[in-house]
Amino acid sequence: MIWTPELWHWMSPVWWVVGLILVVYFVMFRPIQPARLIALLLGLLFLSMAYVSPVGYLADGFIFSAHMVQHLLMLLVVPLCLLLSLPRKQPKRAADSSDKVPALKLIATIGWIGGVGAMWFWHVPSLCTLSTETFTVGLLRDTSFLLAGLIFWWPIYGPLERTRLEPPVGVLYLFTACLGCSLLGIYITFTSTVVCPVFATPADSLGILAQLQAAGLTPAVDQNIGGLLMWIPPCMLYTGAIISLLARWYTSVDHDHSTTTAARLT
Amino acid sequence: MLNHDPVETRESWGLFSWICSVDHKRIGIMYMMLATFFLFVGGFEALLIRAQLAIPMNDFVSPKMYNQLFTLHGTTMIFLVGMPVFTGFSNFIVPLMIGAKDVAFPRLNALSFWMLPFGGVLLYFSFFSGSAPDAGWFSYAPLSTKPFSSLPGVDYWIIGLAVMGIGSVSGAINIVATVICCRAPGMSMQRMPLFAWIMFMQAVLIVITIPPLNSALAMLLIDRWLGAAFFEPARGGNAVLWQHFFWIFGHPEVYVFALPSFAIVSEVIPVFSRKPIYGYSFVAGSSAVIVLLSYTVWAHHMFAVGLGMWPDIFFAATTMLIALPTGVKIFNWTATLWGGSIQLTTAMLFAIAFLIQFVIGGLTGIMFAAVPVDWQLTDTYFVVAHFHYVLVGGIVFSLFAATYYWFPKITGRMLNERLGKFQFWIWVVGFNATFGVQHFLGLMGMPRRIYQYDDYPGWYLLNLISSIGAGLMAIGTLVLVWNIVRSLRHGTVAGRNPWKGFTLEWSTTSPPPLENFDELPEIRSRRPVWDRDNPELADWKTEKTPEDKGYRPPACKVSAWAFVISEAIFFILLLVSYVVFNSNSGENAEGPTASTALDVPRTGVFTLVLLSSSLTFWIAEHCLRRQKMGAFKIWLSFTILLGCAFIGGQIWEYTGLISDGITINRNLFASTFFTVTGFHGLHVTGGIIALSIMLIMASRGYLNAKRSPVFAAVGVYWHFVDVVWIAVFSIIYLGYLQ
Ligand code: HEM
Ligand SMILES: [Cu+2]
Repeated sequence: MIWTPELWHWMSPVWWVVGLILVVYFVMFRPIQPARLIALLLGLLFLSMAYVSPVGYLADGFIFSAHMVQHLLMLLVVPLCLLLSLPRKQPKRAADSSDKVPALKLIATIGWIGGVGAMWFWHVPSLCTLSTETFTVGLLRDTSFLLAGLIFWWPIYGPLERTRLEPPVGVLYLFTACLGCSLLGIYITFTSTVVCPVFATPADSLGILAQLQAAGLTPAVDQNIGGLLMWIPPCMLYTGAIISLLARWYTSVDHDHSTTTAARLT
Repeated sequence: MLNHDPVETRESWGLFSWICSVDHKRIGIMYMMLATFFLFVGGFEALLIRAQLAIPMNDFVSPKMYNQLFTLHGTTMIFLVGMPVFTGFSNFIVPLMIGAKDVAFPRLNALSFWMLPFGGVLLYFSFFSGSAPDAGWFSYAPLSTKPFSSLPGVDYWIIGLAVMGIGSVSGAINIVATVICCRAPGMSMQRMPLFAWIMFMQAVLIVITIPPLNSALAMLLIDRWLGAAFFEPARGGNAVLWQHFFWIFGHPEVYVFALPSFAIVSEVIPVFSRKPIYGYSFVAGSSAVIVLLSYTVWAHHMFAVGLGMWPDIFFAATTMLIALPTGVKIFNWTATLWGGSIQLTTAMLFAIAFLIQFVIGGLTGIMFAAVPVDWQLTDTYFVVAHFHYVLVGGIVFSLFAATYYWFPKITGRMLNERLGKFQFWIWVVGFNATFGVQHFLGLMGMPRRIYQYDDYPGWYLLNLISSIGAGLMAIGTLVLVWNIVRSLRHGTVAGRNPWKGFTLEWSTTSPPPLENFDELPEIRSRRPVWDRDNPELADWKTEKTPEDKGYRPPACKVSAWAFVISEAIFFILLLVSYVVFNSNSGENAEGPTASTALDVPRTGVFTLVLLSSSLTFWIAEHCLRRQKMGAFKIWLSFTILLGCAFIGGQIWEYTGLISDGITINRNLFASTFFTVTGFHGLHVTGGIIALSIMLIMASRGYLNAKRSPVFAAVGVYWHFVDVVWIAVFSIIYLGYLQ
């Protein structure tokens, strides 16, 4: 069923964005490192698939959980890949808290509020509906997700060592972010309020919806899954990030000598 | 805090000197003795349970009595044995391991300890009131609500747990602050012995896991005493909410127990294999990850409630995930054993038995993670077998390992190894007899928490074996007690380092002097004592570990943050309950709601008042740092006044509501509203008191720029109270999320 051609939006304008990013990347970040290029391509793949694949189509007012997948890609996965694709500026000597920029606390606060806040903000019922129905608001929403994602991940995976949080603080940052999105996820999962009313009365132009509903994906179940998606996968992603932070912490012996490829990539 | 004056100077051994002691080692010992005492109480209850179940259709105890026994047994073992004994070890060992003189806040430490016996007395006093709690250790609603449990047993249970919970949190905050702020020079966080690191993680977990319980307890108490109906479905409440809140606490709580045993075996196994642990950073890191993950799996205790297919699937998946970091640790320990020159001391035997039995318990746990299996087996003896394999076969065994391992350090004398091995084998047999057969009973369908059973084929025999096993464990415990009593008098003198241990506690005398160390070895790796004793094989020559950068934040600020995080979780759960009960008030709007009862603009003004107090506080703090004491006092007084004005506004609001007949038992809106805002008001009041103390201290000249971290710590709290109010205001008054 996912192969139904109508579900694929091959002419999506997202390709322009992808192309633009590619050009900018190749112009600005020479010489290209293969590992970083892979991160970039992965990011672009996720970005394009968020709109081109059925996820993009179904997110457009049909299925709430598809819409949630799209959000997660835009807010968490794509920005993360993009940041990882940037070459890192290594400090000269071993990192130490005195090297950090003084505004780091502020950057981190903004990043946290941006990343967690974006989710909470766009799921106020009226905004959720509006952004799904109106193209420009939707565009605004998706851009804001991407930006919020970038500033959220910046203190963890940003290219400048000086603006990265010390790993233990980073763990706290991610842990609390996990609590933040868990709460929203729990709310969406268990509440009887319809969080995003458009999805309760979709216009079923292709007749797939009837099929899906027959398979058990009623709007209530759909919201259920959407909430769980908002809740568990981000926490798992954060857990992965926490593990990488801890690994970085335990191996932070010295920075001036050769570091392993893995450490260089993260 | 690192250089505070010794709080006690004279060594004395009278009873009174123990009661007044603030020395971390004595407090640690008192925790352990308290736990031992309650181990006997809880163990006695268990023996009565097993005596009742030894034969079919027994009527040795009444059904009522039986319910009280298993309720008190569970509650006692969790809160009065497990929690204190690990806090005790943590208290005694962690400061020694990190080269500190004492914990960060010795007096707070003593206070936290004394909360526990107080809570324990409250719990057991219920017996004398004629009704011990009997709703199970998780007191499921609606059984625990007034209509079904009208006697005060449940009330004692609630208050006892709340008191003990507060004691545990403050004790844990102390450990957190100690580890962060009191490490000896050279001891970077990444060099801490695994015991210290994992106990640090355990303390963090306590700080965030007790608050959900406290929220639930507060709400249940309000139900029972003030007539609200949070958990009474008959009056619109939600009994499943209790289960959610309880298990949000309850599942992490099992890791509050599991982490210390990981911590113990991570010390015992390397020392008796004469090797460093295999994969230090993995063991350390996965313990941190467990803290996080343990928060995402609670609903696996609720598969049978009917949460829906998708929640079940997701929770099954996370439950399997959390088994990963635990499972791989097993490989770390086994790999440490591999190729080591193993010394089978009693401590080591217990550690190895821990490994095996914990794996069995873990495997049955993973079975439960498969939802259909759980549906079949939940509430049978299979569950009882599962959690006793982890709690007894895993945790109690590791506890015995710790006892044999650290007894020489604590008392200066060795425990007798022959008696130790005797005890070990009695326990292995007794334990597996008791709980091994319960797997089969569970599979045969024997429900848990029944006081009598018919003689179905095999049930009698298996139950009898189980009861005999319990007797064996009791005998084994007596052997340990005898061993301790004898060794205290006649045991071999231990010396500083009888096991050739690797970590700092073994570099000082046994027992350690009041200030712990005469001199510390240089800390350049994870095994400083090994390095000192084997200079040519020193760890730092082969493996580099991150250097200590010497940063130690002020302990009062660290503890203020820990406290605030704990309180934040408390409020989050209260707010969750508000949202749960008010999200579709349109349909069953009976009586007042937020939109009909509240005067939003007026409260908006008081909100601004409260928020501006954060600003004045901030200015006051600046003045203090610049030593402008006059301006400081003025701005501080302003802050206090603004706080009082806010409270005044709240009183105004409350009187208005009450005179309209809107009281806490009117409907669920009123209950949640008063609960949330009432607790917030209490916190503001507490803040005002703290600020007033600061003002008095300032006017007496005790508060100066040097002490500004103390003031900053109060500030963390004060700003926190404001942030909570922002959340309260937007959810309750502005109706966000509805
Ligand atoms: C491998 C990891 C584990 C998994 C996957 C797991 C899974 C589960 C599941 C699904 C249940 C619910 C069974 C039911 O009531 O139907 C359960 C119950 C329980 N588990 Fe575990 N568990 C694990 C480890 C532990 C550990 C380490 C402890 C204690 C330290 C523990 C203590 C308990 C307790 C006390 C209960 C029963 C609570 C009650 O109903 O009174 N578990 N476990
Ligand atoms: Cu659990």
